[in-house]
Amino acid sequence: MVIEQVGPHGHTVLRLRLEGAGTECRVGRDLGCDIVVDDDHAAPHHALLTLLEDGRVSVRDLGTRNGTRVDGERVPADAGAIVEQGEVIVGRTRLRVRTRHTPIGPERVFRRDFVRRHRTPLAAAGVSACVAYGGFLQWLDAPSSMLRSVAIAGLVALGLIALWAGLWALTTKLNHGSWHFRIHVAIASIGAAFCAWSYWVAGLVAFATQWSVLVRIGVAVVGGTALLALYLHLREATHYGRRVTLALASAATLVIGAIAWIMAIGGEDGDVNRVNLGPEVRLGAGRVVPNRDIADYLAEVEELKRDAGRERQKSLLSVPLADAED
Amino acid sequence: MRIARFVAAVWLYGFATVVAAQAEDPPVPAEAPAPQSPEAQAPDADTVDAAAIDAEIASQELSAEAQVRLDAARDAVVQIRGFFDGSESSAFHGSGFAVDDGRRIVTNYHVVAQAVLYPRQYRLEYLASDGRKGLLHVLAIDVRNDLAVVAADDLELPSLRLRSEIPAQGERAWSIGFPLNLGLTITEGVANGLVENSIEQRIHYTGAINGGMSGGPALDRRGRVYGVNVSVVTGRQLVGFVVPAKHIPALLARAKEPLDLSLSARQLRQRVTAQVLAYEAEVLEAQPGAAGIQKVRGYALPTQISRHLECTTVDERSPHVRMRVEAVSCSIPSRILVQPGVYVAGLAIQHRILQSLGLHPLHFERQVNRLAAGPRRAGASAHVAPFACRDALVSLDGFDARISTCVRQYRLFAGLYDFDVTVVGIDDVHQALVSRLALQGVAFESGRRTMERYLGALQWTP
Repeated sequence: MVIEQVGPHGHTVLRLRLEGAGTECRVGRDLGCDIVVDDDHAAPHHALLTLLEDGRVSVRDLGTRNGTRVDGERVPADAGAIVEQGEVIVGRTRLRVRTRHTPIGPERVFRRDFVRRHRTPLAAAGVSACVAYGGFLQWLDAPSSMLRSVAIAGLVALGLIALWAGLWALTTKLNHGSWHFRIHVAIASIGAAFCAWSYWVAGLVAFATQWSVLVRIGVAVVGGTALLALYLHLREATHYGRRVTLALASAATLVIGAIAWIMAIGGEDGDVNRVNLGPEVRLGAGRVVPNRDIADYLAEVEELKRDAGRERQKSLLSVPLADAED
Repeated sequence: MRIARFVAAVWLYGFATVVAAQAEDPPVPAEAPAPQSPEAQAPDADTVDAAAIDAEIASQELSAEAQVRLDAARDAVVQIRGFFDGSESSAFHGSGFAVDDGRRIVTNYHVVAQAVLYPRQYRLEYLASDGRKGLLHVLAIDVRNDLAVVAADDLELPSLRLRSEIPAQGERAWSIGFPLNLGLTITEGVANGLVENSIEQRIHYTGAINGGMSGGPALDRRGRVYGVNVSVVTGRQLVGFVVPAKHIPALLARAKEPLDLSLSARQLRQRVTAQVLAYEAEVLEAQPGAAGIQKVRGYALPTQISRHLECTTVDERSPHVRMRVEAVSCSIPSRILVQPGVYVAGLAIQHRILQSLGLHPLHFERQVNRLAAGPRRAGASAHVAPFACRDALVSLDGFDARISTCVRQYRLFAGLYDFDVTVVGIDDVHQALVSRLALQGVAFESGRRTMERYLGALQWTP
């Protein structure tokens, strides 16, 4: 049998191998024990593990106040328990017990995923795309000291990615004992660059086709990318399974989306004065939709009377007039 | 002796000027007590003949005349106060004066507007010079001229006579009212004739008018009411406005019974809306003949789609050094008030022509978008509903443009709408037109017609 003491982050702190039927292993705080645990919630002599003849292990509690648990179940004080494998908890210390009855899976095919294999070029590409976007935004404003503004914007983008990826790398280090910095940089920077550039392109296409749904699609793409990036980060950094990771990533995306939405809506009065001009104008002939004539447009404007009336009804329903009759 | 008096007067005058000059720094707030009189501060009062000064002051015709005016009008003027619900402290206040048989009181519409629009929330009371108080009812309103007639059941006051002619420019005039709740006050000034370029008639009064004096009588030399104090330009000096008294008789003829007893709140609001729409139909009326056009860099820009528009053309400070912005701004010089803080029947056009002075097309595009998004409309969520918008690419005369139209309705006045139309020329990467039409508190149909005239007149020729 093999007994492993598991640390707070799931890694093995101590491993003990015992052979021969009848071999005993005493666990407790007392220095005479075979496994000495530094745990205030454990008794000096807490539990006794005995290797049986059939290869299984008997776990016995030595009359402690906190008791001993096997896979979450408390071991009866008089009877003890017999296990083939499982987690024994002494006080707050976790011991993983494995015997020759423990099933072992077949050898897994070694497959390094794409991100892991190309982490360096991917990280480099993502970072350059982000820095380029930051610089491009600055350049669009046509600042007077072009070089300095663009350089500052690039550095800010770089710093933000480093901060974000660094946080995830630290989490990975705590959980797995390794940093995976480049992988996190690749995930973060490619996700951010994809969002930024695709949103910009969505605006361009939205004007060319006058298809205003595209802006919403752009928002959906940004949300989807954020979800995927968070999922990958979490998978890389933690031990959570697929489902938990997906749930966490979705919850985080929703919360961030809600905050962004609330900030975009702004104050109550801002809402009343919000004028939606439509997608940003692109000058020159970059459009695929033929222009309408004035008469058609004015006919469309007629519909605004109904729309404005609907907005008023909504407004009256949410906040009725002070001296309401209608 | 006469010479001594004269010298004393001149000396006093000089001293007063010095005191005034000193008082300017730091500025004295309007509410602060007036600076001490010069006599009290005179360093060597013994040398001045005190009696002579008193006599001099008494003989000054100005003050005496103001006193006479005030005494004659005192009993005819009441303070009008509005109370919220059952509250005992007033929510707003203004002035009013008795006319005709002394049973009816004239004031401003804006003084009683809250009580007209929310009849179940506010009540009006008068406070007469002898301390009598009582409930007031609104009998008639004239939103356009900002006039109202109110009456109380048991109140009969000495009335003031009306004068329907406009006073000549330079004629001495007085205004009476209750400024800032400080008690009955008379101010002296000069009537400067009708305001030029104003749609509705207003007499320009150069004299102090302050909040709370609204609705008070403006008197001429013979004690007749030539108008009603209505408004003041804040931040300037003594630029007040008075509604001519000639609009009062027509309103009095309509003032038969209390509106708030005979009409529901909804009907009252509809009545206010109807008056606004009648006024607005006239204001937005097309200029006879072709619309006035101003040509700037190949663009024909409508500047006179309504006959009352006034325009200015400036070389606007550009947001970017390598871009030039020429702006033609037109607006109707006056709007009318339907509710405190809510002005309607407004029309403003702003054309801006942007020229790139070697900017990269993407840079220029960015600046065009930024200017188009421009300043947002003002409005409180208590008064207006949110905008509904439509945008499209439209072929105008000689150029293509992206037009975005936004319309919102007033919460209290279902017949009134705000329009916001933004036109952005999209053909050229070096020159663009960003034009905006803003209509405030108009009927939907007349708004649409105005928009049609405006869009139809925009033109570009190479």
